[in-house]
Amino acid sequence: MKSNQRKAFAERNLLIILAVMAVYLTIATKGNFSSWDNITNLIRQSSINGVVAIGMTLIIITGGIDLSVGSIVGLSGMVYALLTSNRGDIQMTSSLAIILALGASALIGLANGVAVHKGKVPPFIATLGMMTLVRGIVMYSSSGRMISGLPMGFREFSVATMLGIPALAWTWIFLAIFMAFVLKYTMYGRNLYAIGSNIEAARLSGINIGSNLYKFYVTAGLFSGIAGLMLGTRMAAGVPTGGQGYELDAIASVVIGGASLSGGVGSIFGTALGALIIQTLRNGGNLLGVDPFIMQIIIGAIIILAVFFDQYLKGRKAG
Amino acid sequence: MSFGKEILRLDNINKSFPAVKALDQVNLSVRAGEVRGLVGENGAGKSTLIKVVTGAYIKDSGKMIFEDKEVSRNSPIISKELGIYAVYQDVMVAQDLSVAENFFLGNQPKKGPFIDWGKMHRESKKFLEEIEVDIDVKRSIKELSAAEGKMITIAKALWQNPKLVIFDEPTAVLTRNETKILFRIIKNLRGKGSAIIYISHNLEEVFDTCDTVTVLKDGAVVGTYATEELGSVEKLIPLMVGRTIEEMYYKKEVAIGQELLRVENLSGSRFQNITINVKAGEILGIFGLVGAGRTDIARAIFGADKFDKGKIIVNGKEISIRKPKDSLKSGVGYLPEDRRNQGTFAQQDIEFNVNAINLDKVMKAGILNYKKAYEQTKEYVDKLSIKIGSVYQKVSDLSGGNQQKVVIARWLCRNPDVLIFDEPTAGIDVGTKAEIYRLFNEILNQGKGIILISSYLPELIGLSDRILVISNGMVAGEVKKKDFSEEYLLTLAMKNIVSKEKIREAV
Repeated sequence: MKSNQRKAFAERNLLIILAVMAVYLTIATKGNFSSWDNITNLIRQSSINGVVAIGMTLIIITGGIDLSVGSIVGLSGMVYALLTSNRGDIQMTSSLAIILALGASALIGLANGVAVHKGKVPPFIATLGMMTLVRGIVMYSSSGRMISGLPMGFREFSVATMLGIPALAWTWIFLAIFMAFVLKYTMYGRNLYAIGSNIEAARLSGINIGSNLYKFYVTAGLFSGIAGLMLGTRMAAGVPTGGQGYELDAIASVVIGGASLSGGVGSIFGTALGALIIQTLRNGGNLLGVDPFIMQIIIGAIIILAVFFDQYLKGRKAG
Repeated sequence: MSFGKEILRLDNINKSFPAVKALDQVNLSVRAGEVRGLVGENGAGKSTLIKVVTGAYIKDSGKMIFEDKEVSRNSPIISKELGIYAVYQDVMVAQDLSVAENFFLGNQPKKGPFIDWGKMHRESKKFLEEIEVDIDVKRSIKELSAAEGKMITIAKALWQNPKLVIFDEPTAVLTRNETKILFRIIKNLRGKGSAIIYISHNLEEVFDTCDTVTVLKDGAVVGTYATEELGSVEKLIPLMVGRTIEEMYYKKEVAIGQELLRVENLSGSRFQNITINVKAGEILGIFGLVGAGRTDIARAIFGADKFDKGKIIVNGKEISIRKPKDSLKSGVGYLPEDRRNQGTFAQQDIEFNVNAINLDKVMKAGILNYKKAYEQTKEYVDKLSIKIGSVYQKVSDLSGGNQQKVVIARWLCRNPDVLIFDEPTAGIDVGTKAEIYRLFNEILNQGKGIILISSYLPELIGLSDRILVISNGMVAGEVKKKDFSEEYLLTLAMKNIVSKEKIREAV
């Protein structure tokens, strides 16, 4: 099968799965599922994980993994809250605080990249350590307390809408389209797939592995930072445990979206569909009154099945 | 010479791979107490033969008879149970276990439910003393040197009382003294009635060690000779080579132009003082045995590996090459030997692969123009007659020959002044080989130069204008076209190995 067709095939499958789920849930909930309120709510709920998962997609395409994204989400929100809260010592303007929060997130991403490339620490270990380290920073800097009293405009962003669609969802949609374009049409994207599918061939093709890996990890950090700010607007506070466990949803979205953990394969659109599928499951389960613990079991099983299905298709091809 | 009963007999063994016939009606008979040398050029089928005997490969047809019984189903486990033991170039023992534990692996002596460590250590120690190997049996393998690890691998062969032992280039990492011990172990094995198959590039060693020697060429047995009757290494070489050069190695005469690349006194960890020059319209062949350092030299010139000292001059200008990007910019290209691991992006499509180093031609203001990228790919796919369904087909779905053509297309599109081909036709069918040679002519016509690294002598002799022979990391000689002969080139390729052997003897 031709590769474009194969990719489109995988994405089409995901679309079909999503559509089947939507039809089933609409019938089962007597139309509640497809109400405008529920759909916008679903997209809003997907958007934060969706943004984190974009960064995760990049790292997984390189053949790595980033476990620190959840902690960076927490860090970014906390940096913003500490710098702007009207109950703290410092009170910066919102935009300066956003820049600093994103700067801190990018810096953590860079540190991941350096540990992986220069330090030759396996991505799993490097980012596992960074996950704990950054969470420690967040806890220490906030003394483990919620920081509220954030600027009004920042808090209002979470309820703002445009054309009836929440601003948070727009943020996700915009970033996803932007990154999908970057991956397809720029050197950045080409280098990403080249490094992910064959790092030695990439090096022999004149691609600078180090500087590119740094860029990818910085981007992943930035996206987590953006997600952290998005979470901040929803919570209207800096939450020390904010973003905890987000890495798992992000990895699940990327994997369901068809990326290969061995690198070289993955797409932003697939990941977005993966994020929507996970959220639709949660949302549908909620509407149907399924025990949330049972939902957890189902989602876990689906992650395994998604990869199993992918491997099965590959294996059949090879055989 | 009188040997014992027949241990192994192979009758008309055949084995083919998609593009090559690796073994062609091979007959072989080895007897108890016989040390049989197995020699042949790279790709003659030695490794394939060994893998068939050990069960790592399944033969296509023919019979394998072991101790008068036919082995119709073979596998590495079955062959081990039969008493066949192979010692490869690598250390093949459990790294974290001690020497004694390795000897007793899977068969530890017990005292009640517990392992009898005392007995294990005593017996291993006694065994090593018998064969005069001085290594502490309590040390783990990873604490030993490579050579000591190798000795233990060999000793383990003896320990298991095998009926047939196969040594594949056993002396590569051994010192002179350890080599002596190895030969003693072989004598010991022979005395106990084991049959031995001994593979080595070092023909002198084969002569010293073996009773008989079988020559393989292009997957077929040329003959089996008693080393005493042959008398000398020189008599063996013509038997290993001496093929007719087919018409396919056709090289058009192109006017030789000015010097494109000059490498002066290049030294690195695996090569010393390499001086090379390539002129426009010329193919410089580089020959050497596996491990002689040919690939290391090419990679250093291309900037893929670091080198210690030396100058690289391209088009009369000295350039500093630290990474592949530098050589790409200055007009030197390299097609790696290991296509799968270093050449292709297997999961990506043909367009991606061809344009991997040519994106600058299809990008505008940082945005890729897919229409141009398609056209550029199509142009070279057609030029190289790569048989595909679409340029958006995944490279992993193509045959080996077509994959290699995709990598060549990538470089033709880049069009560097000097292109280094490292084993470009390894594992590729004859038809595609001929097409690749045709492309060489086209490259030369454009006033470019080629460095061709190959282990396949007919190819090198048929296509090169000059051949540089590398032996043991050093230039053993430069041979002009009128002096090309397989015997001469092979002799040069073994020059530094043989002389090192002589130096060792002198010490």
